[in-house]
Amino acid sequence: MEANPEANASTGQPQPYGEIFDRGYQHYSGERLGRSFAIRRLIIYSIKRGLGIKKRWTSKILPIILYGLAYIPAFIIVALFAFLPASDLEGFGFDSLYGVIEIVILIYASALAPEMLCDDRRERTLQLYFSRPLTRLDYLASKVTAMGLLMSTIIFGPPLLLFLGLTFSDDSPISYFANHLTDLLKITSYGLLVSAFFGALSLSIATFTTRKGVAAAIFIIGALMLQGIARSFYEAIGEGSLRGYLVFISPPDFIDSLRRWLFRTDSQNDLFAATDLPGVVTLIWLVVVIGVAMFLMHRTYLQED
Amino acid sequence: MASDSGRYVFETDSFHKAYGPIVALEALTVRVPEAAIGLLGANGAGKSTLIKGLLGLLEPTSGSAAVLGMPVASQGPEIRQRIGYMPESDTLPGDVTAADFVGHMAEMSGLPTRAARQRANDVLYQVGLNEERYRLMREFSTGMKQRAKLAQAIVHDPDLVFLDEPTNGMDPQGRDEMLDLIRKIHNELGITVMLSSHILGDVERVCDYVIMLDSGSLVVADDIANLRSTTADVVIRIDGARNGFMAALRARGIEATESGSEIVISASSDSEFDAVRDAVVESGVSLRALQPRELTLEDVYIRTVSGIERHTRTEDRAVAGGS
Repeated sequence: MEANPEANASTGQPQPYGEIFDRGYQHYSGERLGRSFAIRRLIIYSIKRGLGIKKRWTSKILPIILYGLAYIPAFIIVALFAFLPASDLEGFGFDSLYGVIEIVILIYASALAPEMLCDDRRERTLQLYFSRPLTRLDYLASKVTAMGLLMSTIIFGPPLLLFLGLTFSDDSPISYFANHLTDLLKITSYGLLVSAFFGALSLSIATFTTRKGVAAAIFIIGALMLQGIARSFYEAIGEGSLRGYLVFISPPDFIDSLRRWLFRTDSQNDLFAATDLPGVVTLIWLVVVIGVAMFLMHRTYLQED
Repeated sequence: MASDSGRYVFETDSFHKAYGPIVALEALTVRVPEAAIGLLGANGAGKSTLIKGLLGLLEPTSGSAAVLGMPVASQGPEIRQRIGYMPESDTLPGDVTAADFVGHMAEMSGLPTRAARQRANDVLYQVGLNEERYRLMREFSTGMKQRAKLAQAIVHDPDLVFLDEPTNGMDPQGRDEMLDLIRKIHNELGITVMLSSHILGDVERVCDYVIMLDSGSLVVADDIANLRSTTADVVIRIDGARNGFMAALRARGIEATESGSEIVISASSDSEFDAVRDAVVESGVSLRALQPRELTLEDVYIRTVSGIERHTRTEDRAVAGGS
């Protein structure tokens, strides 16, 4: 405690500036918010870690590059629509934007899923989470939600930006918005479905290894290898309606066919251009893949000690 | 499970955990009162299995357990909200600061964000990491990591905290400081502590009550004071001709053993003390000390475990002979 010699001149007694108390350990008597709060905080914490927030600057490089690669094409297309006549831009739209950013989505999923799961298992932090009120299912649900939200920012964000750009660059924004509401619905549906598909696949792979690089490599190389195998079989089989189902073993082509079905556009993918599978079959396959991936994740985490 | 389970910190009823043919815990039945509890046993004795079972992280093969009066099987999350756990292994993420991580763990226990941050700072100060709380944990020494693990275990103000080998890998000074800290947590902060260790000295220094496990079986569970008093040994210290005194004792039918500068006899009644008095007079030595021998926890452990082993070997021989 220090004294202020100038204070209280009338009494001549030095007065204290203030006092320092050692409060010691205080028992906590405030509110405890329970599991749902813990789940929400784990989702936010996981999102921050996925984006490299409060981590080394090197952890921020990849997210920045990928967000740049995903959003810049949308800005360019909006700029083109703003400055060029619409007749010169026939064929430019959401489908072409997705065609450009699909590889970014693939890389983002491969990098993000290991960030969500591998560190906690490699550093054995899981023990600390599970010694809290959180259950294993809570933990997994939080990670899946965080992954889904981050994936949607890169899948849903750029086309939404494009949609808004096109709306406001139109002569009559309100009528454009009213006439193109179905586009918004398609963007949302596609964003949700692809987030869930790539998220489930990449997360399920990340549950089998504690090495982030290995998980990312397995996902990307696996996807490209499956694409190669599917195309080889497609060529080998020749004519026949059954060969269209090969799209289901190739994740990049499956996403391509999903987009084609949702946006009712011709595929840029020559190989599967002839395939005309019913949309409901595509949806069923999507649900099956997500279901199997979630089952594998849950089973792996139930066995974790 | 007993209806009066609220009186116990935890209790188990035939709690059995096996991994295939390997039995990690064998039908453990124990009721543990509020105290600084020591969980003793060699590596592989089942200590960590018991802790994980009480946390609800392991499902028992059979039997049941209750912690703080709540059954583990049905109220795991509620129990874990009131429990802290410091695992044996290194469990801290390297690329996070201690303040961020301990605050995050407080949130995981349900504390609102602001309170979690405040308590993380307070608790890190209490465990001696005030200056280092904004450093990445990968830069921490083993001792600092142990302190950070302890901080995350008590940040949410638990009623009971499980500490699994908290002095592992620490140098003697760090170990002393950690044990002082644990003792302080129990005595001053009023948090019930269960210290799991294979180091008898650690448990002896911090705990009032001990549970000893050996190969998954309960050896003993009792107050340390009770265990220490269950001896009939008397220590004698004399000045003078030791051989003459020993001979005088033997002449009176008393078996005495030399232990360093001391002589130890077994005295179950006053007659042995009379015999010592007479032997002192007869041999002309000076009696410096005559006192009951205080057992260390190590003595208790060796006696009880070796007693079990002898008993098991006898049973094995009986079975072999029978067959």
